[in-house]
Amino acid sequence: MPYFGSEDVVKELKKALCNPHIQADRLRYRNVIQRVIRHMTQGLDMSGVFMEMVKASATVDIVQKKLVYLYMCTYAPLKPDLALLAINTLCKDCSDPNPMVRGLALRSMCSLRLPGVQEYIQQPILSGLRDKASYVRRVAVLGCAKMHNLHGDSEVDGALVHELYSLLRDQDPIVVVNCLRSLEEILKHEGGVVINKPIAHHLLNRFGCLIPNEEELFDILNLLDSFLKSSSPGVVIGATKLFLILAKKFPHVQTDVLVRVKGPLLAACSSESRELCFVALCHVRQILHSLPGHFSSHYKKFFCSYWEPHYIKLQKVEVLCELVNDENVQQVLEELRGYCTDVSVDFAQASIFAIGNIARTYTDQCVQILTELLGLRQEHITTVVVQTFRDLVWLCPQCTEAVCQALPGCEENIQDNEGRQALIWILGNHEEGIPNAPYVLEDFAENAKSETFPAVKMELLTALLRLFLSRPAECQDMLGRLLYYCIEEEKDMAVRDRGLFYYRLLLLGIDDVKRILCSPKSDPSLGLLEDQPERPVNSWASDFNTLVPVYGKAHWATIFKHQGTDHCGPELPHTNFSYARQLISEENKERVQELPDSEALMLIPNCQFTAEYFEKTWLSLEVAHQQILPWQGEVHPDTLQMALQVVNIQTIAMSRVGAQPWKAYLSAQDATGCLFLTELLLEPGNSKMQISVKQSETRTEILSRFISVLETVIGTIGDMKS
Amino acid sequence: MIHSLFLINSSGDIFLEKHWKSVVSRSVCDYFFEAQERATEAENVPPVIPTPHHYLLSVYRHKIFFVAVIQTEVPPLFVIEFLHRVVDTFQDYFGVCSEPVIKDNVVVVYEVLEEMLDNGFPLATESNILKELIKPPTILRTVVNTITGSTNVGEQLPTGQLSVVPWRRTGVKYTNNEAYFDVIEEIDAIIDKSGSTVTAEIQGVIDACVKLTGMPDLTLSFMNPRLLDDVSFHPCVRFKRWESERILSFIPPDGNFRLLSYHVSAQNLVAIPVYVKHSISFRDSSSLGRFEITVGPKQTMGKTIEGVTVLSQMPRGVLNMSLTPSQGTHTFDPVTKMLSWDVGKINPQKLPSLKGTMSLQAGASKPDENPTINLQFKIQQLAISGLKVNRLDMYGEKYKPFKGIKYMTKAGKFQVRT
Repeated sequence: MPYFGSEDVVKELKKALCNPHIQADRLRYRNVIQRVIRHMTQGLDMSGVFMEMVKASATVDIVQKKLVYLYMCTYAPLKPDLALLAINTLCKDCSDPNPMVRGLALRSMCSLRLPGVQEYIQQPILSGLRDKASYVRRVAVLGCAKMHNLHGDSEVDGALVHELYSLLRDQDPIVVVNCLRSLEEILKHEGGVVINKPIAHHLLNRFGCLIPNEEELFDILNLLDSFLKSSSPGVVIGATKLFLILAKKFPHVQTDVLVRVKGPLLAACSSESRELCFVALCHVRQILHSLPGHFSSHYKKFFCSYWEPHYIKLQKVEVLCELVNDENVQQVLEELRGYCTDVSVDFAQASIFAIGNIARTYTDQCVQILTELLGLRQEHITTVVVQTFRDLVWLCPQCTEAVCQALPGCEENIQDNEGRQALIWILGNHEEGIPNAPYVLEDFAENAKSETFPAVKMELLTALLRLFLSRPAECQDMLGRLLYYCIEEEKDMAVRDRGLFYYRLLLLGIDDVKRILCSPKSDPSLGLLEDQPERPVNSWASDFNTLVPVYGKAHWATIFKHQGTDHCGPELPHTNFSYARQLISEENKERVQELPDSEALMLIPNCQFTAEYFEKTWLSLEVAHQQILPWQGEVHPDTLQMALQVVNIQTIAMSRVGAQPWKAYLSAQDATGCLFLTELLLEPGNSKMQISVKQSETRTEILSRFISVLETVIGTIGDMKS
Repeated sequence: MIHSLFLINSSGDIFLEKHWKSVVSRSVCDYFFEAQERATEAENVPPVIPTPHHYLLSVYRHKIFFVAVIQTEVPPLFVIEFLHRVVDTFQDYFGVCSEPVIKDNVVVVYEVLEEMLDNGFPLATESNILKELIKPPTILRTVVNTITGSTNVGEQLPTGQLSVVPWRRTGVKYTNNEAYFDVIEEIDAIIDKSGSTVTAEIQGVIDACVKLTGMPDLTLSFMNPRLLDDVSFHPCVRFKRWESERILSFIPPDGNFRLLSYHVSAQNLVAIPVYVKHSISFRDSSSLGRFEITVGPKQTMGKTIEGVTVLSQMPRGVLNMSLTPSQGTHTFDPVTKMLSWDVGKINPQKLPSLKGTMSLQAGASKPDENPTINLQFKIQQLAISGLKVNRLDMYGEKYKPFKGIKYMTKAGKFQVRT
């Protein structure tokens, strides 16, 4: 993002860099280079002096070298042709006697990110991997990963991977760690590093002690035990995750581990670093999903102190909600009550919602606190309390009476949209407990014209109609006026439609209105749904110590989707389409070509059959068509399934790979509702695949179309394999 | 793992950026700025911010945001710890870590960052070893460098990288052999209105400064090791010996390091050294409120409490305060409503107090909540948990080292509700 006026600066610097007097004076020369770097870091476009900077790299001054390399790594992608000139110097430096220079040059060369640079860096990396200085080896090992990224994800260099595997036995721990990380990155598409027993033993031994030959889980656990006491929370949590995954089949061991890690985790929750606290709290919540009472005795640790940032307070309140039990409920509620009047509106509201959550179990105490809060007559508090009440009367109908008594008068203190909606809902549904409900609603109805939120108006319509059913005398006039307004004057389509709908409903007679409008007023059975069942530890163990506990899985999924499309885009021209993608695109093409002449056959994309339904239908129908197709070798179920999916044929069941005879059951449905059920059968030793198709209606024309589609798919896959 | 790092000051300028894996446009920080705007106060910016293509993990220290850009799933604690380590390293190198200092030393900063991380993975994070790779700037060295044109880069690779003990370099030599240990305890507590303790815990650390020749092997034993609840160690400590004998046995790194940190949280054990007597009242009718607080010692084992400061965020309705302290100085900022009182030492004979009136906004209703008081203090030569070091022995070397142990107690997050 070049700023306005950067041209002058570039021109001036260029002149200075070319000046032989400056070049001769080491200090001045370096100062000019520093100025270039400084401008660069401030976001000015300095790519104009690339040529001069490349020249400056030929120096014995190591700081100057570093600066120039830094510059090159930033601008090389912009000036690929010029950057190739620098490679010569870098190559020379890779065989410098000073290991620091060697490492530096190698690192910079790998970071150049130029197309075509791979051929130059391959040799230096290989010799770097065998360098005697561990510093260079560290750099070279990571260089392998960088080189792989430059290649695109296409081929994995077998020799290089082998070399890296052997470096896992390096004596320098950082080389080993970086080696693992590089392998992980290079072999991402093959599922990451393969750890066989010898490697695992070797790595475990590097942790400090020696284990004898048993591959017992508990030996490993004992070996890693001290990491649970590490001073770095990152290591502790990392070790915990490893334990949880290793002990997948031993839930009691997992529980033990979580008990062991309680102390360190609590310590991290009160750590000096706010950010560490936050992440630790997120992990605490994760653990609580499986072990609800786990931290109950430490509930006081989760009391908020005034000076903590909001994000920590909000997490702590959430944790407190989950920790409540019969013994501490009094203290927790008292504490939460204190937060409700906090200066920060967000925090105060979050605390009120928290009390609302607790109210599902400890209704009476909480409703009392909430009622007291209404007495403060603060706008931001009242609105949230009313919203909480709305949820409560739905989930815990026994508190309806108390809520109804608390409500009168609070309408004066509600301004925002959400709160008014909640209030109107309660008034409409529980009018029997609130004598003045019609009069409160009347005020709202009077002001309907100036009301800006359509949602509030819709809520008001429904509430008033409900009220009309039970207290017609007081509401008839008001309802009439509101309906008139909504139908005649209202601009919002949804509100007007709702008004019209109610008007017509009323025309049908009061009994119909009652039938439609008087749904149950609350549903305590939903409360049970709300109480999430305890989730097994294994359901989240693999997400532990990742960002998932902080933001949830769904979010990552969308991010990755974005990234996926990105990688195929112009940003990475080297990305090679994987086998499956190629297949899909080909199939897509075929389908597009096929569509015009097969108008009669339109398969529905998402027809879902259960296996039972399929079986029943299959048995009841006769085979309509049988055919034999040529086929070679094994079947790759995933490929086949994906290919069939593209043409809207669903796979119901499939044998394992290599099973003999191999069978698959497919189903499809066309737009007219005609079903096609198919069996694929591959006999052992026979290079033929037998297709049997059954059809729910006898329509030979469509059947032949369907078979031709199936034939094309199977033919294509067969071709690709051979 | 870590793609890029942006340093952002509190007014929202990116003053330094460093990229490791690929160059991420600084426009990614716009998401951060949005969050910053929404948070109103710098402390409240959430540490993890999701954006459509990246995650931004940040720490806020010394009024600077250190924002790491992440593109793939990553252990968040690893990133946050690494960022803290970066800050610690800067502090170690330059004494303070502030925007002007970083800008002045931009070359060293880049060199250090380059050595700390490669391709997004940590390379060298022990400041011991970093300092050998890149010498920290000192005034003398800067002068010498300007005259001779030499540089800050070490001529040799740090030998420690190849030694059997990765945290200690070989061939260390000192004329004075010294080992100092500081036992520092911080009290985190919440005291309620009536003066009883809501929560209290002690977070302790033992920081060491060891300057010993050769490869010394140290053993440190405590009078009462059972006090320590939840201990975590520097990697140099032999964990097995602690488990079996409750003794710390270790080959120390050279220079400054944190030997261990611990917690004492069983509530009955935590002595609260200070009390605050307060009477703060707002009246519904009048526009004046009364304010009086007194600070006094309690359970200090005869030691003096020093460096006492009182901070309190007054309710929004308070317009101004007219107060007179019996000692020290006080200020009230009518904009942020922050009252701060620098008390100094507490003399048990004459307790410091702060008295006066508050003028309230006319017509406004009385505030719902009384202000919270945040207290800072220090007590020298006392570890409030009662932890005591018994003895320190050295094996493996012939000379007699000079040993010193210091104790100190400080207030951590110490707050009194009124």
